[in-house]
Amino acid sequence: MFSIDQYAYSNRMRAVHPGERFAFAILTMVICLAFPSTVTQLAILLLMAGVVILWAGIPFRFYLKLMSLPFSFLVVGVVTIAVSLSRNPEPTLQGITVWGVTIGVTDQDLRVAVELFFKSLGAVSCLYFLSLTTPVLEIIAVLKKLRIPVLFIELMSLVYRFIFVLMETADRIYTAQSSRCGYATIKNSYLSMGQLASNLFIKSYHRSRMLFTALESRCYTGELKVLEPHYTVSKVNILIIVVIDLALVVLALNTGGGFVG
Amino acid sequence: MFGKRYTIVITGYLLALFLIFPQSAYAMHIMEGFLPISWAGFWMALILPFLFFGIRSIQSSLQSNPSLKMLLGLAGAFAFVLSALKIPSVTGSCSHPTGVGLGAILFGPTAMTVLGSIVLIFQAVLLAHGGLTTLGANTFSMAVIGPFVSYGIYKALQKLGAPLWLCVFLAAALGDLATYVTTAFQLALAFPAQNGGFLASFAKFMGVFAVTQIPLAISEGLLTVVVFNVLAAYNKHELQELSVLSGEVRA
Repeated sequence: MFSIDQYAYSNRMRAVHPGERFAFAILTMVICLAFPSTVTQLAILLLMAGVVILWAGIPFRFYLKLMSLPFSFLVVGVVTIAVSLSRNPEPTLQGITVWGVTIGVTDQDLRVAVELFFKSLGAVSCLYFLSLTTPVLEIIAVLKKLRIPVLFIELMSLVYRFIFVLMETADRIYTAQSSRCGYATIKNSYLSMGQLASNLFIKSYHRSRMLFTALESRCYTGELKVLEPHYTVSKVNILIIVVIDLALVVLALNTGGGFVG
Repeated sequence: MFGKRYTIVITGYLLALFLIFPQSAYAMHIMEGFLPISWAGFWMALILPFLFFGIRSIQSSLQSNPSLKMLLGLAGAFAFVLSALKIPSVTGSCSHPTGVGLGAILFGPTAMTVLGSIVLIFQAVLLAHGGLTTLGANTFSMAVIGPFVSYGIYKALQKLGAPLWLCVFLAAALGDLATYVTTAFQLALAFPAQNGGFLASFAKFMGVFAVTQIPLAISEGLLTVVVFNVLAAYNKHELQELSVLSGEVRA
C-alpha cells in the first residue's frame, strides 16, 4: 500500500542491525544540520543516495520520485525566504519597484535560502535512508531500547498495525462510492467523504472493542508483549559508521568553518 | 538591465506560487532539515511536557478503562488514514484533511497531542511528509496548538448555545488556521528577513501559505460538519461512550 514500507521490508540491508542503521541516519542528519558547509551536505546527499541505491537495492527511479516529493514545500519555502517585499526598502534590497512596493532579494537572504536548499535535501536523504531500509517495527524496537515510555511505544505499534487495516477499509468504501457516482460533483464528494470518514470511525471503534475482547480472552493484563527477531551487532559496521561520520565532520570543519547551531 | 533580470525573478516567484503548489495540498508540515538545529531542538524540548502530561492523562484513564488503549491506537490510525484521503477543495484543487478538529472534539486535546505526534512520525517515515528533526515544531503546531484551539472554540461556542454545525465548523476551520499561523510563526522565527526581521518574514510566510491553507481550512470545516452530522444521526451511543476521553461529547 505504501511503497516506502514495502521497500523497507524487502531491501538488501535487512540483515544489518537496525540500531546501526538508526544511529547512522540520525548521526549523519545531525552533522548535516549542524555544520554550515554546503560541500558536506552535498556529500551526504550523494553518500545516502549511493548507499540506498547500491547497497539496499532501491530502484533509482523510485528514489528520484521520492526525492521530488518535498520539492513543492522546499521551493516555495526557499523562495519565500529569498524574496522580500518592502514599501520603504533599505539599500541592501535589490529589486524592482511596482506601485511603490519593492520586490527583490538581499544578499544575505539569498545566501540563507541557497544554503537551506542543500541542507534540507541532505537531511531528507538521511530520512529516506532510514525509512527505506528500516521497517517501522524495527524503528519501534530501537525506540524501545532508547527508553521511550512503554505506553507511547505500544500506541505506536497499535497505530502502525491498524493503519493498514483501516486503509484497506477506506479504499474499499471509496471504490464502492465512486462506482456509484459518489464523487461526481463537489457536493456529492463532501457528502461521500463525510460518510466515509464517519463510517471508518465507527468501524475502527468497533474493531477496537473486538480487539480488546480478543486480548482479554487471551489473558491480557495491560501490556502487549511481542517477540523480537535477533540481530547481531557488527563491529565492522560500527567502525564504518564512525569513520564515515568523522570524515564528514572533518570535511565540514575544513569547508564550512565552525559549528553553528 | 536590472529591471529585466528582476522581472524574471518575479515571474519565477509567481510561477512557483501557482504552479509548484501541488494540485493536492497537504496540510503544511515543515519538511525534514528545514529548521536550523537550534530551533529544531527548541521545539522538541517545548513539546516534551505536553507529551508527558498527555501520556500521564492517558495512563490515568487506562486505570479505570483498560480498553481505551486499543481505542486510542485505532484513533491514531484513523487520523493517519484521514490525512491520506483527498477532498475536493473549494478552489477546485484537492486537499487532504488534517483531522485535527475532529480528533480534538472526539478524543480531547491532551490525547490528541500524543496521537498527533505518533501520526506525524508515521507520516514522515511512511509518506515522506514532514520530518524527524522538524517533528517537534510540527507536533507543536499540529498536535498542541491546533487541537487546543479547536477544543477551546468548540467548548466555548457550545456554552454560548451556538448550533452544533457552527461549533464543529468553526472548531475545525479555526483549528486548521491556528496550525498554519503557528507554522508561519515558527518559520519566521527561524528565518527572519534581513530587512524587516521577524515581522517581515512572518508576513511573507503567512501570505504564501494562505494560498493553500485558507481553502484547506474551509474544506476541512465543511467535511468535519458532514462527519459529525452522520455520527450524531446514527451513532449517538458510541459518541456518548467516547465521553470518557474528552470529558463530555454531546452530539
